[in-house]
Formats: sequence, structure tokens, C-alpha cells
Amino acid sequence: MLLGLGANQLLADMNRLLSLLFHQGVLDEQFLELQQLQDDSSPNFVYDVVNIYFNESEKLLSNLRGLLVDKEFSDYKKMGKHLNQLMGSSSSIGAKRISNICLAFRAASDQNNRPACLRALEMLENEYCYLNNKLHEFFQIEQQRVLAGGVRYPIQQQQQQPPQQQ
Amino acid sequence: MEFPVGLRVLVVDDDVTCLKIMEQMLRRCLYRVTTCSQATVALSLLREKRGCFDVVLSDVHMPDMDGFKLLELVGLEMDLPVIMMSADGRTNLVMRGIRHGACDYLIKPVREEELKNIWQHVVRKKKNENKEHEHSGSLDDNDRHKRGSDDAEYASSVNEGAEGLLKIQKKRRDAKEEDDGELENDDPSTAKKPRVVWSVELHQQFVSAVNQLGIDKAVPKRILELMNVPGLTRENVASHLQKFRLYLKRLSGVAQQQGGMPNTYCGPLEQNGNHSSLGRFDIQALAASGQIPPQTLAALHAELLGRPTGTLSPAMDQRLLQATLKGPAGISVDHGVAFSQPLIRCPSNISKQFPQTTIAAEDVNMALGGWPSNGPGTVGPINTLGGLGAQSGSILMGMLQQQPKQTIQSEPSRSINVQPSCLVVPAQPSSSFQAGKNPASLNQNCSFGRNSAINYSLLSPQSNNISFGTGQVPDGNLKSSTVLNGYSGPGSISPSMSSCSINADNSATRQLQNSPFASSAAGQSPGFSPNVSDTQGSYSTNSGQVLDQGPLRNLGFVGKGSSIPSSVYPHYTKFFIKRSDECFLRIVLAERNF
Repeated sequence: MLLGLGANQLLADMNRLLSLLFHQGVLDEQFLELQQLQDDSSPNFVYDVVNIYFNESEKLLSNLRGLLVDKEFSDYKKMGKHLNQLMGSSSSIGAKRISNICLAFRAASDQNNRPACLRALEMLENEYCYLNNKLHEFFQIEQQRVLAGGVRYPIQQQQQQPPQQQ
Repeated sequence: MEFPVGLRVLVVDDDVTCLKIMEQMLRRCLYRVTTCSQATVALSLLREKRGCFDVVLSDVHMPDMDGFKLLELVGLEMDLPVIMMSADGRTNLVMRGIRHGACDYLIKPVREEELKNIWQHVVRKKKNENKEHEHSGSLDDNDRHKRGSDDAEYASSVNEGAEGLLKIQKKRRDAKEEDDGELENDDPSTAKKPRVVWSVELHQQFVSAVNQLGIDKAVPKRILELMNVPGLTRENVASHLQKFRLYLKRLSGVAQQQGGMPNTYCGPLEQNGNHSSLGRFDIQALAASGQIPPQTLAALHAELLGRPTGTLSPAMDQRLLQATLKGPAGISVDHGVAFSQPLIRCPSNISKQFPQTTIAAEDVNMALGGWPSNGPGTVGPINTLGGLGAQSGSILMGMLQQQPKQTIQSEPSRSINVQPSCLVVPAQPSSSFQAGKNPASLNQNCSFGRNSAINYSLLSPQSNNISFGTGQVPDGNLKSSTVLNGYSGPGSISPSMSSCSINADNSATRQLQNSPFASSAAGQSPGFSPNVSDTQGSYSTNSGQVLDQGPLRNLGFVGKGSSIPSSVYPHYTKFFIKRSDECFLRIVLAERNF
């Protein structure tokens, strides 16, 4: 019972964290969709996807930076493609703020506005770090919770399974 | 399982995150999902596993291939519904997707609800295809069973454009280079306008333009200029051109399955890929369209099969021919035999063996359909169709008529065929073959003659007509090239043909002269009309020169084919094909399996 309470506590933490991120506009409901997609066939779905996302977007960000740092840079088209991809994956996991910045970034890119692009890139990198940290935290709590209570997603089922004690 | 369950979906996205999410979403929709992170891989997957997917979901921006390009290729080759998706939902991009034929455009993030509904595009597509078939005979990869009829429509419509055909023949150069290149070259940004209805007339204009330019040099812009149709865009033409090419290719695929004929379209020497099957296609098409009654085909096959084989020296094509000519002797006689031998290059014994004979029968079809003209004058595939039909018809008739006679000789098996043959003849109206309309068809025959150096000698020992065999020279010019020259030169339709044909005719004439029976043969055919010489086709030309000689006249008739009553035809039975192309061999072998 104690552990179950602990699990509930952890769950509350998770929800608090999520609502914070929602409130900040870092995440949107697409993230909830993602959570809905997790089922028995892929119990770590959200975690896996987010991991992939971070890996991929890290590459994209460094590509973008590489493009912009180059003084002779002029390949805005290529940049646009990177941005599109980043925007696609970000929006797909519900990373709302990142995709919003991407939008601005792309607009700057379309105008060949390099300073604006650089600014946007910096914002992206910041957002990326922030989201990475927060979601990392989120998953850590979740893992604790799973360990503690054997309860996992979806959240709605939290009360249904009694905690398993060894 | 109810319908949408198990829908086979291919997802293509270079963004692994999205790919993973999509996969999961689709799986939860109970679809069968295949994911692919590279467009090129996806394309090859689609090509390899034709018919293994119902719908394709593709990202727009992909590094190895533009999503629109993939969309277009898939739309053309597989004719699958393609749904585009991208985070970029700007109007111009979505519009581009539509123009390229995307059936939907999902803006990322894609939601599960949207995916639950994608099955509708599969249904819709099928429905539209059916409609299209009715109108323009679009190409459908999925439904093979439909194809026969579709092709028929297609072919017939093509045939109608006689002028187009003429131009084609004149202008067309080697078909060898054909397509692939251009498909790939095509600017990915090429856009399709919504949907132009390619009516028969429009398509004819298109075909004639293509042929004016030469299939290998035909680029959408120039075609558009030539067509000069208001409202038609370069994109329309571009996509239609691709479709057209794919169509030709696809036909070849069909041909291979059915066994058959090397493509008229391609030079005989070409590789298999090109071998396309227009020829075969024709027969099929004709059959499908009812122009050739099934019985006819059956009869043809039966005949060939049933026939006992005379022994001919395999190696010697010339000998065969000559033998046929000279010999009243029944020696020569089997078409199947003669025919098959050269192709396979097997020892003479082959003919005797029934299985092979069978092959031969099919070969006949091949021969008919298959002879492409190498020359600049190469006939457009379409034309060929007409021609083939005519030829096959005539041949069939000839064969049929022969049968009774042969039956007399000693072969019980053939007798079966006789009835069908009668049926067949009436069934073929001249119009159906369009022999009259299409000089092309006649040419076809010519081309046929040239390449193949095919000899159709009469089955009946008595009659030695080499109508088809004109190309072959008694002198021993077995090479098809000689024959080719005669026919191919202008490559254009009937009128021009005469000059060309002359050479061939001469040779033929000689042969005829050689054979004492030739005249008799002519005499034998009751229906034989002296007028035959009028025929437009290559045959006619031949006949004109050869007119003096009875057998040649027969040829002329053959060219007309459909119009002449069966009785007219003397017996042609022997198909002698000398052809060393390995492609051809391959086809023959394939046929055997078939």
C-alpha cells in the first residue's frame, strides 16, 4: 500500500509536470495522442518515439547550425527541408513550441533572412534543451512509478491495478 | 475481417519519428503497415511487390526523392492511391500534391482519426478506375482480369487514328531507347493538372505527336506544341506521356505472361524488356474485344498442335522454304514445325514432338504480332496492333481452310478445327480489324515479314504459297535484314510500301514461281478474287508486283484479311520463322512453361 501511494504520488508529479509543459505551450494535445497510442503491443512507445525524436532533431539542429555558420551559406532551400522535417516530427510528438519556432524559422529562411534564421536557431536549440530536460524528467518519474506500482500508461487506468508487491 | 481491416499500407517518410508514430497509428487502425524511410527503397518495394499494397502514405520532403516524384511514379506504375503528408501545409504545396495526383494531403501532425479514414481512397480509386476504363481505358495494374478488355479498348481507339499511325511509322525511329530514361529525367516539379479526359481523339493526337517526334525524343513540351490543343498543359502531356510509356511497358509484361509475341514496338534485336508485347497485346485485345472470336484463336492453336509434323531439316531455313515451295510433297508441311524450328533452333525432330508443337502454335501468334520493324519506319505499337489483328485473322483463316484439306491427308486431329474456322471467318469483319483503315496493319505484316523472315507456306502439300514468307529469298537470303530492307525502308504505310515491298516480293515471287503449286493453290481457293491486288497494305504492294502469280494474290488477300471470306484463302500453314534473337527464344521458352 505504501508503494501504491508512492506510485500515485509519482503519477501526480507526472501530471503536474505535463500540465506545466502544456501551460507553457511547450507541448500540446498531440503528446496526449502519443500517449494514447501506447498499448500492450508497444509498452514503451512514447519513450521510444521521443527518444528517436531527440536523436533526429539533434542531428537536424546541428545540420542547421552547420548551414548557417557557413559564411558562404546560401542554401535556404536545404534549410527549409530540414526545417520541414523538424517541424513535422516536432508537431507529431506535440512539441508545440519547437514547431512554432520552426515556423518562424522557415519564414525567415524563405526571406533569406540570415540573422533571423540564426536567432530562430538559437531559440530552437534552447527549446530543444528545455524539452529534452523536461521529458527526460517526465520519463524518469514514470519509470519510478512503474517500478513502484507496476502501473503504467494509460494514465486513466491508474487505479485499476493493485500494486504488486514482492 | 471487415473491409478496412487489413488494408495494406505503405508509409514512406524519411523522418523516423513520424514513421514510427504513423506505424503505430495505422496498426491501431488494424491496417497492415509497412514502413520505409527512403523513397527509392519504397519505390523498388512497390515495384517488386506489385499488388501487395493498397495505399501509399508518403512524406513530401525526402532527401533521396521528392515525394511528388514518388507520388507520380506510383500513380503511374502502380496506380495506387497515394496520400501525401507534410508539416508544410502551404497552399502551393498542397496544390502541387493534388496536381501530381495525390488523393489526399495530410498535414502533420497526422491524427489517428484521419488515418482511420484512408481506406476510402482505396475504394474511391477503384471506383474511378472503373469509370475511366469505360471511357479511356486507363491502365490498371491491380486488376489484371480487367486488363484484357481495357487493352482492347485502348488498342482499338488507337487504331482508329490511321493518320496518326502513318505519321508514327514515318517518324518513329528506333524504339530501342524507349522509356526509362525519360521517366527519370522528368522534372520532379512537373505537375499534372487535375485530370484531363484523354478522349480517343485526344489520345490519337498525342500518339501522332509522339510519333512525329519519335518516341525517344518526345518531350512533353514539343508534344504539346504539336498537339496544339487549347487548355492542355505541359503537365497533362507529361503525365500522359509517362502513362503511355508505362503502358507500353506493361503490355510487354502482359505479353510475357501470355506468351507471346515480341513487341512490334521494339526492334527484333532488342532486349526482352522492350520486347513488348504489343503484338501479343493485339491479339489479346482483339480477342477481348471480340474481334477475333475465341474460337479462332482456339482453332489456330488446335491446328498447330494437332498437326503432324513434317520433317524438315532444322538448320536450314532456306531449305525449309524451298522444300515447301518445291515439294508438292507433304514433307514440309507443319506450320508448327517450321515455325518452331527456327525459333528454337532445335533439331528438326522438334516439330514432331507435340509439346513443342504447342509452342509453335503460340509462336504463331507471336510471329504475327511480334514483328517489329527495325527500320526508321518502325510502326507504332498501336499500329501494330491493327496489323496483327489483321494478320492473325488472315492466318487463322488460312489455317482453318487448310485444315479440311489436310484432314484429307491423314491427320485426324486437325479435323476438329475445321468448324471453328468457318465460324471464325465470318466473325471477322474487315472493320474490326480495321485493315482497310489502317494501312498500318498491312505494314505490320510487312514488318512482320521482314524481321521474321517468316514463311507461311501452305500446309497442304499441294499448295505452296509463301504469302508471308515473301521476305525470304530462295537465293538463300535468309537474313531477315534483306527482307527488312524491302519492307522497312519507308516504313510508312501502304503506298510507300510498294516500293519497298518490291524487293521482298521479288524474292517471294521467285519462290512462287519455283513452286508449281502456287498457281494451283490460287486456283484451289474458290473464293479467290483476282482483285486482290488492290489491297493497301504491304501485302497489296506485294500483290501488285506479284499480281501475275496466283500465290501472291493470295497474299494480298491475306493482307485484307478480314474482308475476304475464308474460302478465299489458300492454305497457309507453314510458318517459317528464322530468328535468332534470344529474346524471342526466351519468349518461346516462357511460352512453353505457360
